[in-house]
Amino acid sequence: MAEKVMHLMRRGAITCAEDTTIQEVAQIMVVNSIRYCVVINGRNEVQGIISARSILKAYGRNLNATRAKDILLPYTVTITPSSSLNEAVELMSRKRIEHLIVVSDRPGSKAILGLLHAEDIVNRMAIA
Amino acid sequence: MVRICDIMHKGVIFCYPDDHIRDVARMMIENQFRSVVVVHESGEVWGLISMIDIIRFHGMNLENIIAEDVMRPYQISVDPQWPLEKAVELMKRRKIEHLIIIDPHAGPKRPIGILTSFDIVRFMSRIETGQYQQMLKMPREESEDPSR
Repeated sequence: MAEKVMHLMRRGAITCAEDTTIQEVAQIMVVNSIRYCVVINGRNEVQGIISARSILKAYGRNLNATRAKDILLPYTVTITPSSSLNEAVELMSRKRIEHLIVVSDRPGSKAILGLLHAEDIVNRMAIA
Repeated sequence: MVRICDIMHKGVIFCYPDDHIRDVARMMIENQFRSVVVVHESGEVWGLISMIDIIRFHGMNLENIIAEDVMRPYQISVDPQWPLEKAVELMKRRKIEHLIIIDPHAGPKRPIGILTSFDIVRFMSRIETGQYQQMLKMPREESEDPSR
């Protein structure tokens, strides 16, 4: 049986609100040792993702005046738990992203279920 | 002024061009690094392997794949004395996450450190290394103490 995203994804994600300051987003990332932060709105729908590189866009600006919504990468690339792992990996390497947001299978849903990390795929390849 | 050498990782995790891809992947996981520098026998930087470069080979037969097949050539030369702004500018322009720092005094293309986008995020968050355990602990201590 072909492996699916659900077998390797990590459930849950670390999130922040749209109006969180960049200073706080950076602190969330450092304290949790993560390289991304998912931005959600009041209804828990995914708005986008902030990566370590997108934080650099705010370098030199006032970090307490810049908000998450100003620098987030809009939510475009997502997969569902039942997508095949090969498809997900292909998407990651084509778009050169290390984290894929996993959303619910329900049509039109933007509810976040978890993330697929490049790290876990490398780990799988190392022990295979 | 903050210089690159103030916040970079001193030393690099490296492999040789003929190392097996599986060993490189293992090296990454064990050291919790997201990139491995490929160094020629003479000690010069040849390329960089990131996680994205490795997952391209997912699902393939890895037996005959070596670091040289996976790596991307690395041409940028970054001096440890540069101001941090210059590194940020370079990362933004080239859309890269890792900069290999080359020491001009150690000889041509000798890597002495690595600067990642996460190091810059850590610098921007203004949390010193080692301070975050304390930050995490504080609310937990309060809730564990019922007398308060």
